[in-house]
Amino acid sequence: MTLVYRLLLRSLVSRARVAAMAAIGLVGLLVALAIRAADLTGGERSLAITRDLLGGYGLNLVVPVTALVFASAAFGDPTDDRTMVYLWLTPIPRWRLVAAGWAATLTVAGPVAVLPVVLAAALAGADGRLVAAAAAGATLATVGYTAVFLGLGLLVRRALAWGLAYVLIWELAVARISKGAARLSVSVYSRSVLSAVGEVVKPRNAAAVSTSLIVLALVVLAATALTTRVLARADVA
Amino acid sequence: MTAPVAVAPPGATIAVDRVSKWLGPVVALSDVSFSIGPGVTALLGPNGAGKSTLLRILCGLTSPSQGRVRVLGADPRTDLGLRRHLGLVAQQETLFEQLRAFEIVALSAGLHLVADRDQAARGALGLVDLDPDDARPVQTYSKGMRQRVKVAAAMVHNPTVIVLDEPLEGLDPRQRLRMIELFVQLGAQGRTVLVSSHVLDEVERFGSQVLVLAKGRLAASGDFREIRDLMDERPHRLRLRSSDARRLAAALMAGGSVVGTHLESAESVLVDTTTVGAFRRAVAPAAAAEGVRLLEVTPLDDDLDSVFRYLVGR
Repeated sequence: MTLVYRLLLRSLVSRARVAAMAAIGLVGLLVALAIRAADLTGGERSLAITRDLLGGYGLNLVVPVTALVFASAAFGDPTDDRTMVYLWLTPIPRWRLVAAGWAATLTVAGPVAVLPVVLAAALAGADGRLVAAAAAGATLATVGYTAVFLGLGLLVRRALAWGLAYVLIWELAVARISKGAARLSVSVYSRSVLSAVGEVVKPRNAAAVSTSLIVLALVVLAATALTTRVLARADVA
Repeated sequence: MTAPVAVAPPGATIAVDRVSKWLGPVVALSDVSFSIGPGVTALLGPNGAGKSTLLRILCGLTSPSQGRVRVLGADPRTDLGLRRHLGLVAQQETLFEQLRAFEIVALSAGLHLVADRDQAARGALGLVDLDPDDARPVQTYSKGMRQRVKVAAAMVHNPTVIVLDEPLEGLDPRQRLRMIELFVQLGAQGRTVLVSSHVLDEVERFGSQVLVLAKGRLAASGDFREIRDLMDERPHRLRLRSSDARRLAAALMAGGSVVGTHLESAESVLVDTTTVGAFRRAVAPAAAAEGVRLLEVTPLDDDLDSVFRYLVGR
């Protein structure tokens, strides 16, 4: 499995991809610096903007988009460049290939997605608790989103477009207005953890921390099982 | 080799039973059945005949829409254990471009759970005359060298069944000869070597059993010489240009070396013959005897496509 992990990791770490994602994170850092610089009237307003930055920009944009870009490429790139045939012909069980792909994705997407959110919290002047909350929320969101998006590169040709549509339509729109849909939203659970740990205003349709952790674990298991099934049944060119 | 088969005969390592494959509205394979055993078998057919689809099915890369495939008694689509015994040289050129040949072949060894990857990689690269210590990435390699890397990667785990999709493409004549020798040697060792090609003469050198695919159907199977005989017996069409086409056509018909004629112009006639050799010997003397000046003899259907069309249409 280490071999597959290293192989997929090598293919994931392209300079252009990491630079593009880091640029998105950098925007958050600049906004955080601006918040800190503009903090002339006292902490409350600044804290509210920081919360919005972490929840809105960080967990709703930086983390899902970074997770999407790397996770969909883990098996999407080998499919597109037709090197998947070498991976597919190995006798290694499919679930182990998927686990290796997920581990490789987390290795790259983790730092690129989580660090900007945590740094943005610190730069904006958030207290230690909110910084820890940002780290916990971003980490959980990265874990959930990478698992969900891993199989996307195998399932559809334009994985980025489909993934963005999912984030924008389902996570940011439908899950906000529908309580039922919110139960199937990675964003709602990760923001629930952010608000609970950071003791800030709960997001709409928030869940308890324990529920959030259990559901995110189930999401990872279900997504991994689905990706394994898709990989096993894939038509490899 | 037998065809068709309902149940794989004893000794068959690959058994294909009534396999069809549809790719959307396109029928890539239609009711194909055969079984083969150890030794070299050539899969012959023009481009688009369904060769690559069949090889992909045999390696489990895609499932048949209908029918059943067994390789070493196992389902190649679902039996992961089979993949330890199966080697594939895929048609696509893509490799891990940034890696060295040695790294790619060692990677293939690792993916096939070979214990000593490095030694296996060195051995496999040696078989295809490539230097394991070459420091260049494969993206700098010529097409022929890349092809040899693929062959080494497919053989590094010492498979029992080796499937090669157009492995001789891009090789120079010396490399082709070396590779054909290697295939023959692997076949003689008791491995099942299935090699696809669209070049008739190439296949002849394997001295092997042949499967002929055309338009997704198994057009012929058996010993290469039998297939060659079939091809020689087919009607051939030729265009003759001469000073008096009508007179020459009449003479050839009377001589019995052609079975049909079609006058195109005063100087040109199309003739059909089932005995090309006899026709070629007869045409010049017939023209001379009639006082006709023979200007040009052009075979119109000596290309492979027409051979396959004939085999399918039989």
